[in-house]
Amino acid sequence: MSGILIFSENNATALELLTAGLGLKATMNQPLCAVALAEEDAAALAAAGADKVILLKGRDWPEGYAQPIAELAAKDLAAVILIGGTARGKDIAAKVADGLDAGLVTEAQTIEIVDDKLQTTRLKYGGLAVASEATVLPAVVTVAPRTFDKATAAGGQGQIISLDTADGDPRVKVSDLCPIERQGVDIAAAARIVCVGRGLSQKEDLALAEDLAKALTAEIGCTRGIAEDYHWLPVERYIGISGQKVKPEVYLSLGVSGQVQHVAGIRDSKIIVAVDSNEKAPIFEAADYGIVGDLYEVAPLLTAAFKK
Amino acid sequence: MPKILVCYKWVLDEQDIRVNAADASLDFSRAKYKISDYDKNAIEEAVQLQESQGATIDAITFGGPAVKQSLKDLLSRGPDKVYYLADPAADKADGHVTAGVLAAAARTKGPYDLIICGEGSSDAYNQQVAPRMAARLGLPAITFVQSLKLEDGRIVATRKLGDCTEVVTIDGPAVVSVVPEINKPRIPSLKQVLAAAKKPSEEIKIADLGLTPAQLTPKTVSMTVKGFVMNRKNILFKEPAQADNVAKLVAALAKEGVC
Repeated sequence: MSGILIFSENNATALELLTAGLGLKATMNQPLCAVALAEEDAAALAAAGADKVILLKGRDWPEGYAQPIAELAAKDLAAVILIGGTARGKDIAAKVADGLDAGLVTEAQTIEIVDDKLQTTRLKYGGLAVASEATVLPAVVTVAPRTFDKATAAGGQGQIISLDTADGDPRVKVSDLCPIERQGVDIAAAARIVCVGRGLSQKEDLALAEDLAKALTAEIGCTRGIAEDYHWLPVERYIGISGQKVKPEVYLSLGVSGQVQHVAGIRDSKIIVAVDSNEKAPIFEAADYGIVGDLYEVAPLLTAAFKK
Repeated sequence: MPKILVCYKWVLDEQDIRVNAADASLDFSRAKYKISDYDKNAIEEAVQLQESQGATIDAITFGGPAVKQSLKDLLSRGPDKVYYLADPAADKADGHVTAGVLAAAARTKGPYDLIICGEGSSDAYNQQVAPRMAARLGLPAITFVQSLKLEDGRIVATRKLGDCTEVVTIDGPAVVSVVPEINKPRIPSLKQVLAAAKKPSEEIKIADLGLTPAQLTPKTVSMTVKGFVMNRKNILFKEPAQADNVAKLVAALAKEGVC
């Protein structure tokens, strides 16, 4: 077992993995190899510090590269394989791990090598807890986008090697690739958020939250129930461990009870404010400031106050 | 008639787990079990395919001794039969072990035309059992599926991939994982709950699956699990007049430099 292998089909994420990989290289003192699917991505990784970049060619579906990546990792005796935790990346990582008969840690937040094992931390129970785990090598890890900063180009001289792969699985046909049209801005990047939950009794009452958001120059977010059960707002606006994770300057919730999965998505916010009629709602344990009261009474008063 | 296998996990309800603020330890004493939320979507999708295609549905679960309590809840949601593996090994199992056990059991009881999983479990959320099972069974995997159809022996699935969607068509059997937005799981009716008591369940012993000790040894072991402790001000305004509360909140936010 020796080297470190990194891969993401998204080059911004690949450069973040490179930062994590270079950190491991410092303790493992082993070469770092990156896998890329496009020439410009390969060049960027080589320039930013990868010792070697394998440019894979020959398949048109990123998931189809799982087997060639597993073969490369086995041939190179890679000890740690870091894969970008996008949806495609998680799929690929599981297949690579299985191909190597290796363990897989999903969405690791910290990664280090201790006593010839990979030690990681990750969230568990909907974000309620942090689990520290040890995995035998070789080990595969996925890392969520934006967990690490991007490695910056430093005039690296990594070698780039092109490799043709055999055809993919003939049983699988992929078609109708469609970008998802985002409705409005990316709330993960919003500086202020007004978030609505099930305390809102009907869709028309969203206007209350919209008025407040306007007065506070905030974006509207929501809980999973509002997006996925009621469909009052698009899923891109739902905040939680399996939705958007946000870190605004101010997060203000209206009628959000504060289930752990939701709180896991807001806890990097600078200031958390909650309005809910139930004083025992868990959102208040997660909040800096709270108003116990009927949102239908409180929201218009807040809107008027913020307008001043 | 298509034969579907749906996988589910019997997990502790995270809403009932308390974090002891003093040492961040977890208190499970009041936690009850439930079918993992994401798996309810997998079960519902199987039932919808059954209603539209006349499929038969087997369900399978791998859990600790408590997993037997799940059978009635599961069967009341629509599957025709449930297989369960109740073994203390499940408590320490990682994705490698769980996928191996489920794949071996599926091979024994199958073949299946379609195996459906949730996108992850609501406790560990490792998101790897579906693609790993597919790899073990030599089948294609289709993950993060937001709509699913069966057409003349083909599976047609639309996947949701963060910034895009794509349609994947598979000739022959496959393992799929579904995202929560694919459906809204129904609440079992009293009639379904009563009917569940008459449906078959069958225990499968891990020892009968022919797995090697290495296949049953987790690659990942847990060292510690600590509650996430929030450090927030927790200042509550609860005057009878909301205007007073709003004034206090705005003053506090002004002090924070927010408005």
